[in-house]
Parts: sequence; structure tokens; C-alpha cells
Amino acid sequence: MNAPAGIRYYDVRHVTGQVTHIDIDSGVVESAGTSFFNKAIVRTLGQRGWGVIQIDNYIPGSKKKFGEILSSAEKLARITAEPVLLGDADRHMLPVPPAKEDCRSVDIEEKSAILAGIEGAAQHPQVVNRRANYIERVEQVRFSDSSGSEYSYEICRSGFSVMAVASRNGNVQMGYERDHSIHGFNLRHRQELGKKAAAIAVALLDAGAAKGGKMHAVLDPELAGVFAHEAVGHASEGDLVQEGNSVLKGMTGQKIGNEQLTIIDDPTIHEFGFEPVDAEGVAVRRTEIIHRGVVNSYLHSRETLAAIGNGMAGHARAMPGEPPIVRMSNTFIEAGNATTDEIFSECKNGIFLKGSRGGQVDPGRGVFQFNAEYGYLIENGECTKMCRDVSLSGEILTTLHGISLCGKDRLMSPGYCGKGGQSVPVSDGAPHVLLCDAVVGGSGVD
Amino acid sequence: MTAHLMSSCAMRWWVAVEWIEALVADGEKRVDEIEVFYVQGTSVSADLKKRNLSLATSSEDCGLCIRTIEKGRIGASSTNNPEQWRECLDAAVASGKLATPQEWNGLPHPNAIPAGDLSFDLAMTFEPENARELLQKMLAGADEHPAEVTSGSAALSWGQVTFANTHGIRYTARHTGISASLEAISGQSTGYEFDHACCVDGVDPFAVGERATFFASRSVGGKDIPTGEYDIILSPIAYADLLSNVFVPALSGRNVHQGRSKLADRMGKEVAVPGLSMYDDPHRVNANGSTWWDAEGTPTMRIDYVKDGVLEAFAYDLKTAYRFGKTSTGNAVRGGYGGLPTIGHHNFVVDGRREEIADERVVYAHSIVGAHTANPMSGDFSVEISNPFWMENGEFSEPIRGAMLSGNVFLMHEQIFGLSKESRAIGSYILPSVRINGQRIIGK
Repeated sequence: MNAPAGIRYYDVRHVTGQVTHIDIDSGVVESAGTSFFNKAIVRTLGQRGWGVIQIDNYIPGSKKKFGEILSSAEKLARITAEPVLLGDADRHMLPVPPAKEDCRSVDIEEKSAILAGIEGAAQHPQVVNRRANYIERVEQVRFSDSSGSEYSYEICRSGFSVMAVASRNGNVQMGYERDHSIHGFNLRHRQELGKKAAAIAVALLDAGAAKGGKMHAVLDPELAGVFAHEAVGHASEGDLVQEGNSVLKGMTGQKIGNEQLTIIDDPTIHEFGFEPVDAEGVAVRRTEIIHRGVVNSYLHSRETLAAIGNGMAGHARAMPGEPPIVRMSNTFIEAGNATTDEIFSECKNGIFLKGSRGGQVDPGRGVFQFNAEYGYLIENGECTKMCRDVSLSGEILTTLHGISLCGKDRLMSPGYCGKGGQSVPVSDGAPHVLLCDAVVGGSGVD
Repeated sequence: MTAHLMSSCAMRWWVAVEWIEALVADGEKRVDEIEVFYVQGTSVSADLKKRNLSLATSSEDCGLCIRTIEKGRIGASSTNNPEQWRECLDAAVASGKLATPQEWNGLPHPNAIPAGDLSFDLAMTFEPENARELLQKMLAGADEHPAEVTSGSAALSWGQVTFANTHGIRYTARHTGISASLEAISGQSTGYEFDHACCVDGVDPFAVGERATFFASRSVGGKDIPTGEYDIILSPIAYADLLSNVFVPALSGRNVHQGRSKLADRMGKEVAVPGLSMYDDPHRVNANGSTWWDAEGTPTMRIDYVKDGVLEAFAYDLKTAYRFGKTSTGNAVRGGYGGLPTIGHHNFVVDGRREEIADERVVYAHSIVGAHTANPMSGDFSVEISNPFWMENGEFSEPIRGAMLSGNVFLMHEQIFGLSKESRAIGSYILPSVRINGQRIIGK
């Protein structure tokens, strides 16, 4: 329909779907079942800024009803003052890759039995608690806007996690493994992850606290991926740059890292952060944030592209019923040409950090923090003692120069990223990297 | 006009009752017990991009969760669409068939619930203009110090929960909420502040703006701090972050009985310095988490977790209590309509003797980055401090450039040196600033 007076643009994103979950706690099926959701968001661009209506249980109805929603949204837009413009963008949707095994073809009793097998694999005399969770989320997304663009697709994301808690004399430690996928049912033949969670929890009972301080660090692909996400990805988000809340503002063309450091965000690849089309109906594209150590491009929505330029739209993402904001998707450090042996021998003495318990960044200040699941001391190029509770912090603009070697072995790990109260599926990845003069946190002392 | 509003409210309630009664009646034929938790709400919000209002939003929220119990098997399902309650009931019944049966002694029966809502402000209105005014007051506050506003947000919300079960419970409660937040920057020094309350007068938007630009501008030119042990003050924001990620989960009866709590075998023992208390205070008027009944319809009450430094109670919902031979403490909470009841708290208060805690030179941590990466089992953490300052004679003296704080959340409570005179509400926490001596800081 034609936009009513006062509206320069509108779009509607309506998402329906269902979530199936299974929660097994030390052999007990705590809960399992399916829930349903139906959420929509209608955005209108008035003479200046946005007027937005969020609706639970949206039923696409008559033109008259939709006209009323648009006119309510336009009234909201009247209180705005920011002159919002929308940048040009390609319109195109990628096919959603077919599932290898459709989650919906496996009945929940079977899923529950397989999950129980993974949870059971975490049994060990020193493990006092095991927990496994399965989550499967099917979304039907329908997008349309006032320029006539229309897309609809269905995507299923599913995955699981398994945790083991080991305890001895008041010392409580945990091991946690997970995998999430857009390629269909991923529970089969994964009992090794239950075993691994238990083995790590038990091994951590004998690990010492890391001694904090400045040292060389080798990051495994999972943790180096989190580093790319926290230290670079967020600061390259166009909304933060536009607000002046990123240290990467005005840094285009400047060298902030070594020659071998290239960092990419790519929603087109078939990892957990894949999007067939972004939440504004814009074609998704690979963006090189850092190219050979130089700030190359920001991540954009149509609005931030028009406001600050330098990059491409197609990075707007949203939870069902929530406003699209600039987000990462699949973020990674490109593989280099160092072997893992070279990385460890170049490090010589330092710490090897493995796995991720998450991270956080203050992009304006340029300070980030993230935590490894565990680590090992590196002495004379060899891994020796295991350490627990190791974290790493740093300043974006100085720390990137510290990445002096990148391995050949890039791996992606799935996860979720929170921003503006919205959590979206992402993946992060990297090869093994050597980070010189890292600030490592830990409570251990000499 | 008033009469018209009354009748439309009553009608909305009547419509709700109609399908809820049908749902309960239908469910009773299929399972031993059934409960329904139905949420409706509206909100209006406005966001700043730098100093300009760029986006205004209104929302209509609606959702319900059905829980069924059949021979100790608990099933559940949720939906946004009340008209779809039959499908939702089918899904809940099917879900129950998958659950492992457990000891179960019944959903609650009706109780004499006091009239009146504890966290509801009849005077709150939900016009976009209200949100704009909040932003303007924050911007006026922000003008007090030389820093640029980067973003900000203000919101007003209204919600109603309707709760019904097989035993005749029919409760409703209304909540209102108002919130304001602002981010600012000066050079590469950032400042963030927020405030929220359930009544209009509970937030001070001017102060939010003023504090945000204060922290951004006053943190400029911070000096390095050498690695070592320092006496520190955690602001209520920083303290809430560590409590909610580590200490509070360890008080959950479920974690305690499942081997996931470091406090499991500490009942009756000292877990904090003498004089320190931690309790849930669900009946505090105009506190954000106040409620007369919990997410399962159990009447709420004050729970003293830690009294004079000694661990005295864990938190329970019905499911965990029945399984482990305990009694529900009225601590079931839900994260929205779609969430199953889990163990949480309503208003978590830390209290004790109050005093001046910043007389001597001390490192002040306004907030921390990365508290969610703390080890929830062992309590070990190392986080980056945001807006660290040297404090002396109760005043901010010099800013510190950046530092990591490493420690253990459980051990820290045995080392608390003092609680500030003022408390502040952070979400559902009501906390003082805490001074802890001899904490490890790792400099750059």
C-alpha cells in the first residue's frame, strides 16, 4: 500500500515460530517441550526519525487495520528530531542451506534419549553434577517494505550444551561444551563432548590459579575468535561509530595491527551467524573490517551507512519483534601461515589460553575483557601446568599490534551475542594466534 | 471518563477470565493440576542518537504460559496468542509425558492476599511525550560536565499478570516501570548511568545525565596503577554484577542440592563478615521486585539468607522443595511470560552497619566489564574496572587509567570492611557500596 502522509518509508518484519527445549539435570528430565511465538515490528520513517510499533500476536489483517498501525507509528515519529536518512542497498536473499537431518523429523522422545546419552557420558567419580540442554528454534520470517521489497524464509537453529561439575574438598570446578548449528539435527554421535566436559572439570581440580601480569599469550581458535569479536567487531559497528562511541571512529586507513592481521565479518557463510537477508531486507555481504592491519570498513545498517559511510549495509539484525540494530554475524581472523609449533616456540614463555567463558567490551574507551575456560603455562615453548580462571584485558588500539603470528588452522565456534537487550546467534573464529605482551588476569601470586 | 476507563478495564479482565476459566476446566479433565500465567502490557520508549531523539517506540505485549502436573510429571508450553490456548494446552500435556516424574504435593491453594499492588503507580502515563521529557531532563543534567552524549534511552511501561490454577487461585497484579539511561564520552573516556523505578518520582533523570557526563569527563587523564593489593570500594553497580553472577545463584536450593553451589555445605556457618545480612524483602512498597505472591502462586515472605554473617536459608520453588523434602520459600520467578518458574528473588537486600567508607585512600570501582565471565562454581573472577578512581575523604581524587580486579566473590564477603550509608536499587537488588580491603589489582 502507499505510505500515508508524513511517512517516507516503512517496513514490517513478522516472525512466527516454535522453540523446543530439553533440560536434563543429573539423569532427570527436568523439562522438555515446545512453545510458540508470534511477534512483529512495524517501523516508519517520519519527516525526521523513526516511529516504531512492536506487536505480540500480530495477525496480518486488512489494509485498514494496517493503515491504523502506520498512522500510530507516524505519530510516534513526530516527537523525533534526528534527521534520519537511509543509504542505498542491494536487495537480494540467499537460499537457506538445506538441513542434513531436519530437526522436526526426529521426535522429541528420541532427542531426549540421545541428549541423555551425552549427559550420561559426563559421568565420572569426581563429577557431582551433570547437565545437558537441547534447544531448537524454528523461525518463519516475513519481511516487506514500502519500496515493494518482500522476502520470506524459514530457518531452524538447533544445538546443545553439556556441563560437568567436579568437586573435591570444597574446590568446585566445571567443564562446559556446546555446539549449535544451522545444518539440522546435531545431537547424534556427540557423546565425546560429555566426556570432554567431565575430563576438563576433573582436571581443573588440580589446576592452579593463573598469576596475573603482562606476558605473551597463545590463544586457541575459539578464544582468538572471541578476541576478534570483542576487541574489533563491536568497535566497528556503524551505530557506535556514528554516536562517537567507538575508538575506531575516524580511523579508516590507519594501521592498528600487524600486516598479517585481517578480520572479517561475513553473514553469507553457512556458520551459526548466517542470515539469508538482513533484518531490513538488505542483501548480506562479506565485510573486511581490518585488512592487513589497516582499518578498512565498518559494519552498517542503512541508517548508519547514510550517516557515516565507509562500508556496506546488510549487517542489521534483530530478535523477533525487536528493532534491527547493527550486529556481527560470523566474525573471524583470517588464517595466516605460521604452524602451531612456530607459534609456541616464538612465544617461548607465557600462557596458552583455551576455550571461552565470554567477554565484554567498552568500545568508546576501547577496553575489552574476556575469559578463557582454562589454560596452560608455556615454558620453553612447551605447555606445562594447567591454570584455571584466566582472563585477558586490553586496549583495542594497542593490543592488535601484539598479534604477531597467525596460524593456518582457522576454526569457527557458535555462540550468542548480546547488545541493546537483544541476543542473536553468531559464530567467532580464528586460527591459533600469538599475542605478545598481553595483560593476563588471575588471582594467583608467587 | 473515569467510568469509561473502569468499564474497559473490567471488560478486559472479564475477557481474560472467560478463556482462562475454559482452559482450567478443560485442563482439569486431562491432568491432575493446571496453572496459567498470563501477561499483558504496553510500553513507550524514546532513544537518543547523540543529543537528538531518533527513535520512538510503543509496544503491546501479550503472552501466556500453561503448566500441567500429572502424577508428578510437570509439563509446560507458552504462546503469544490467547486464542491458541487449546494447542498450547496440548503441547503442555505432551511435554509432561517427557518429564521424569518427581515427588509432588500439589500447587498452592488460595491465600488471603493483601489488596493493593506493591510496585504500581496509578499516576504514570504512557505517552511518547513522557519519554521525551525524561530525555530532555537527562540532557539538561548532562550539560553540567564537559562530555559528549553518545546515546540514551527512556521508557515507561505497564503490565498486568493474571494467575490462575486448579485450586481456585485467581490473582492479578499490576506493575509499572520507568527507566532512564545515558552514555557519554570525553576523548576516550566513557561514562554510563541509569536509573529505574516503579513510580514516576522514583527516577531522577537530571542526576542520570549529570553522573554520566561526570564519570566521562572526570575519568580523562587517568594514571596507571601498579599491580598489587589495594583497598577497594565496589559501587552498588559493580557489586550487583558480581553478586548476581556468583553469590545469588549459589543460594538457589536447586544449585545447592544438585552440587552446583559452593555454599551447599555451609548452612549455619559464617559466609560473610559478622554484621552483614542478605535477605529477600518482597513486600517493600515501591521496590522494583515487590510482589505478594511468587510465579507459582505461593505467598511471598522475607527470607534471611545470611544473618549476621551466618548462612541461614536457601531459596526454593515448589518443584525443588518437593523433590528435596523442603518447603517453598516463595522464590519462584519467571523471565517473562514464556519462562518456566525458576528459583530467583524479589528484592535482594544487603544490609548491615553503615558508615563512612571512603575516608582513607581507596580505589573506587564504578562498574566492571566482564562479570559474566566469573566462575560461578568457584567464585573466582578477574574483570576490568570501568571508571576507576582514587578516593580520599569521601571525594573522587584522581582517575585511574584502567586496571583489572582479580579475586573470589565468596572470599570477598569474608573480607568486607564496611558498607556505605546510602543504598541504591540496581534491578531487583538493593545494595550499599562495599569496601573490601586487600584486593588484587593488575595494572597495565
